[in-house]
Formats: sequence, C-alpha cells, structure tokens
Amino acid sequence: MHRLRLTRIPLVSRAVIAVLTGAFAATAFPAIGAADATDDYPIPHRIIVTTCTAEQILAAARDFAPIYYERYVIDKHNKSPEVQQAAIDNAHYFFSLSPQDRRAYSEQMVTNFADPMTASWPNWAKVFFNNKGVSAKETENCANYPPDDTSVWDG
Amino acid sequence: MKYGKLSALASIMTAAVMLAAPAHADVDTDFANQLHTYGIYGQRDYNAWLAKITCKRLGNGLDSSAEKSAVFLSHNLPRGTDTAQTWQFLAAAIDTYCPEQQPVLTAVAEPNR
Repeated sequence: MHRLRLTRIPLVSRAVIAVLTGAFAATAFPAIGAADATDDYPIPHRIIVTTCTAEQILAAARDFAPIYYERYVIDKHNKSPEVQQAAIDNAHYFFSLSPQDRRAYSEQMVTNFADPMTASWPNWAKVFFNNKGVSAKETENCANYPPDDTSVWDG
Repeated sequence: MKYGKLSALASIMTAAVMLAAPAHADVDTDFANQLHTYGIYGQRDYNAWLAKITCKRLGNGLDSSAEKSAVFLSHNLPRGTDTAQTWQFLAAAIDTYCPEQQPVLTAVAEPNR
C-alpha cells in the first residue's frame, strides 16, 4: 500500500497543513478585495456625505489646504479649456448626487479606467478625492462659503 | 599652446562658477533662516510657498487686510504656532516676497493715522 491515507498523517502535521491552507487563503483573498471601493476609497466618506457644493469645497481648500489647492489649480490651468470645463461639469454632476449614488459612482470609478474624463486628466478630482486629511479640512469648513462662487476654480 | 589656452579658459570658468554662488543666495533659504530666528521650523518649500500664497492673496484682494492674512496663516502654520510667531511669519513673508504690501502692516501698527 503506497497510497497516502489521511489517517496515516500524524495529528501535528494535519494542524500544520490546516494553518498553511488558512494562510494561503488569507493572502489570496485580499487581492480580490482590492478591486472594490470601500467607505473611504477611492472617495473619502466625508466627501460622500457632505452637503456642500464643489465651489464650497474648493473655497475651503483655498483657505485651509492652500498648497494642495494651488497645485490643483496649476495642474488644471495646464489642461485645454475643454478638459477644464469637463472637470467642472463632472464635479457639479458628482456633488449633485445623493450619498448612495456617490457611493455607486465611487464603485464605478475604481473599475472603469475607460472613463474619458479620467483618461484626459487622471487627476481631475484630486482636490476632492485623493487625500483624507485634505477632504476633512474641506468638509469641516465648506459650509461657511457661498455655494456658487465659480471664481474658486481659477485660484 | 593649445593646452595653455584651454587651461586659462577653464580657470576663468571655475572662477565664474565659484563667484556666482555667493552672489545668488537662495531667497527661500534666507526666508527659512529668518523663520528659524523666530522659532518657526518646518519644510522650507512649504513655508516659502505659503508665504508666496499669502502675498498673492493680499495682491488679488482675497485678504483685504493684514489681520485677514494672519487668520489665513493661523490655519496653515503648524499647530502650536502662537500669535506672535504668526505675525512674524507675515512680516517676514511681506519683506521677502512682496515688499509692495508693506502698507498693510503699517496700517495695523498705526491704526489712527
């Protein structure tokens, strides 16, 4: 009898095999999980639930995260007028959504790399989505600014 | 002969490089050194950019007075920076990057004139 029977394997070895199988499963599953959106990724929770407009968020960024804001405006000004306008339109669209729809949008965002806005300007929403610390400052202060002052798009 | 010419040229160029360095000290470094005398540290480039943005805001009227600049700075300087340091930062920023804004500081110092 050369066949390996489970009963022949000592108990300790079986425990080792069980642990190794578990470890393998643990390393295999996060890879699958990483393609999903979470409560804070790619769009921070505070941005999902805020009632501020894009303009209010930008005004708060200008005053409370000025260097991050300046970088964004400089980056924006290096794009064509069409791409700049598309970014503004996209932001208006996003902030017009309910939290549930923003969450769905966030889910879409991690999987849809063919989105034309992202393709023409990958960082178009950086000032809104990319940094949890910055979005915390933005959402904490945005309510104190006028909702439709479009001058904030140009620093 | 040819070698002599080359070496003469090389020494002139070396001299030019050596003399140019002290003549153009970096403004941002000078600013950082000044901040250090007030006990304000942090990243040199961050502080320099913050100072330039402060000037820009005074220039385009977003901050209409030195008090408003100080409020802006108080949100963006490291936690623990006190009021005196905030004003020292503001004065140094204006001196270094936008001396034409000096009147906003004088207006605070002499409110009744």
